[in-house]
Amino acid sequence: MSRPPLLRVRDLQLQYRIRGGTVRAVDGIDFDVGRNEALVILGESGCGKSSLAKALLRVLPRNVHHFGGSVQVDGVETMHYSEELFRREVRWQRISLVMQAAMNALNPVVRVGEQVAEPLRTHLGWSKQVATKRAREAFDLVGVSGDFLERYPFELSGGMRQRVVLAMALVTEPDLVIMDEPTSALDVLTQASIMNRLKRIKRELDTSFILITHDVATSSELADRVALMYAGQIVELADARSFFSDPAHPYSQMLMASVPRLHQRERPEHIPGEPPSLADPPAGCRFADRCPSRFDKCRQAPGMYEPNEGQQVRCWLHAAGGRS
Amino acid sequence: MADRSMVPGRGLLRDLRRLALFMVKRILALFLTVVVGVYLTILVANMGGKVDELRRIQIESTVAEEVRANPDFNDMSSQERNEMINERVQLEVDRLNLDEPFIWRSFDYLNQAIWLNLGRAEQMSSDRGSRDVYDIIGERLPATILLFGTANLLIFFSSVFIALRLSRRYGSPADRAVIGLAPTSAAPAWFYGIFLILFFAFIAPILPAGGMVDVPPPQGMAAYGLSVLKHMVLPVLAMFMSQIFISIYSWRTFFLIHSSEDYVEMARAKGLPEGRVERRYILRPTLAPIVTSFLLMLIGLWSGAIILESVFNWPGLGTLLFEAIGHRDTPVIIGGVVIFAYLLALTVFILDILYAILDPRVRVGPE
Repeated sequence: MSRPPLLRVRDLQLQYRIRGGTVRAVDGIDFDVGRNEALVILGESGCGKSSLAKALLRVLPRNVHHFGGSVQVDGVETMHYSEELFRREVRWQRISLVMQAAMNALNPVVRVGEQVAEPLRTHLGWSKQVATKRAREAFDLVGVSGDFLERYPFELSGGMRQRVVLAMALVTEPDLVIMDEPTSALDVLTQASIMNRLKRIKRELDTSFILITHDVATSSELADRVALMYAGQIVELADARSFFSDPAHPYSQMLMASVPRLHQRERPEHIPGEPPSLADPPAGCRFADRCPSRFDKCRQAPGMYEPNEGQQVRCWLHAAGGRS
Repeated sequence: MADRSMVPGRGLLRDLRRLALFMVKRILALFLTVVVGVYLTILVANMGGKVDELRRIQIESTVAEEVRANPDFNDMSSQERNEMINERVQLEVDRLNLDEPFIWRSFDYLNQAIWLNLGRAEQMSSDRGSRDVYDIIGERLPATILLFGTANLLIFFSSVFIALRLSRRYGSPADRAVIGLAPTSAAPAWFYGIFLILFFAFIAPILPAGGMVDVPPPQGMAAYGLSVLKHMVLPVLAMFMSQIFISIYSWRTFFLIHSSEDYVEMARAKGLPEGRVERRYILRPTLAPIVTSFLLMLIGLWSGAIILESVFNWPGLGTLLFEAIGHRDTPVIIGGVVIFAYLLALTVFILDILYAILDPRVRVGPE
């Protein structure tokens, strides 16, 4: 029997309570992440990407209405773990997170070195000296000088802070690092340098990544596989090569067509319309309203179909028999 | 900033020089504030010199009354008697310097007040008979600090502690109960005091209705302390009832805001135990405002509370100031204000330094 994947997510649900109803931010997500694999989760703003990241680490806001499904780490179900068990066994031991607002993710009144070393001291019970030494190594790994250990967050630039948060996520050498828009607040040069660091880390440390982003171009550098999210669901899950060269879902196709390329003759296209409200998603295919190739069947919700090996699409066009 | 890490000696010297300059500037600014505050008090307490006229009339009538009432002077002619009255009035006016223009005297008062030379009361005296303003205030101070210190410390620490707990249970029944009960603080402490006296001193007479100690005072430290404690229960309870809910409510909101910071969420995601998240990621970054409100609460004790002290017949500073205003005894009023102004300035100065210790962002001033 083969080893179970590092992370197996099935039917993950996260709903928020809002005035007059609920928002289905994460609505039945399935995916696996293998060892030393980088999964990129793409999607436009408000499609539930960040909620997915938080749901995986169970960092839930106060207004959670429903949180359910199955999250298996190394074949072990964690969903029924108590808060304390989850904190001790999963957080930063197996999975770590680089939050979207990395600029504010550091405590302003504690030296950054201490903050980076903190998970080692809490989870592994290391002494301060050993933990600081390890933190210095993590700083090296992300390209920040060890002198900065003694600094406070306000003494660092945005790019530095981002790297420090990344160092914090890597310091305990977890199996999986989830990064939520890790570079979206940075200029392209810093972005490129951080992406290069990530590629090296992936090669050298054997870490798996989930990279959550809206930035198609940057994500293509790291991706082994790509999941495209739309309105709380995954609409296409495919190998990076086939996703970027031959997207299957109409939304993927339009998204790829909207990305500007070098030496491109025609203008990049845009996708007309707006994504549906997650408070009251349409009954059928959620993309139907904006889809150029919609037909009668789109009034019913499509399932996930697998037109080719390693490519899953939530679209009736790719169901067995296609448009018939 | 870079040179500090490379040349620590020079960086330290520069930091010290900057710190010294900062302190001198702050002391000057605070001293000026005290001077302005005290002078305004002098103007107000004397009603811009209006009080002098009232006082002169008062002196005239008192002296005239004395002379007329004294049988020794009955055989004097009215002219002689009037001369005598005028003479005595003049003596009193000289004693109080009332014939100088007020504006000159106001600067003299200011000078004396700033040097904490509070002088002697005009009418009032301490229970031991001293007319020194220091003695009069010093006699009342312990009573006020004992009562209000106990009550406020109790309220402060219990509300911060409860609020921190509640901010984690946002929307729970306890949380909602506190929100619902917060408006009870609209009624002042003396209002609750009246009912407490009614219930616990008259309907069920288990506690004394007022005063600070039994009459006559019990012999022995323990018995005396116990008696004071018994007298403190109702006023402390009254203050506690009137302030606790609004205090919890506002701290709870404060902690709610600060516990939704990204770095708090990050700390939870990192898998830190909840106690550590609370101490290091919620309390530590918010320590500066908490300390501020604590210190301001402490010096707030100085002013006491006029009505609450009256309701409980508590011999504190609040009633003292009230009486002083009634007697137009300006030295006592000004004395109270001067000491308060200095305490406030000192507190603000301490806060400035504490802020720099508590928050690294304050330490680095403009280059």
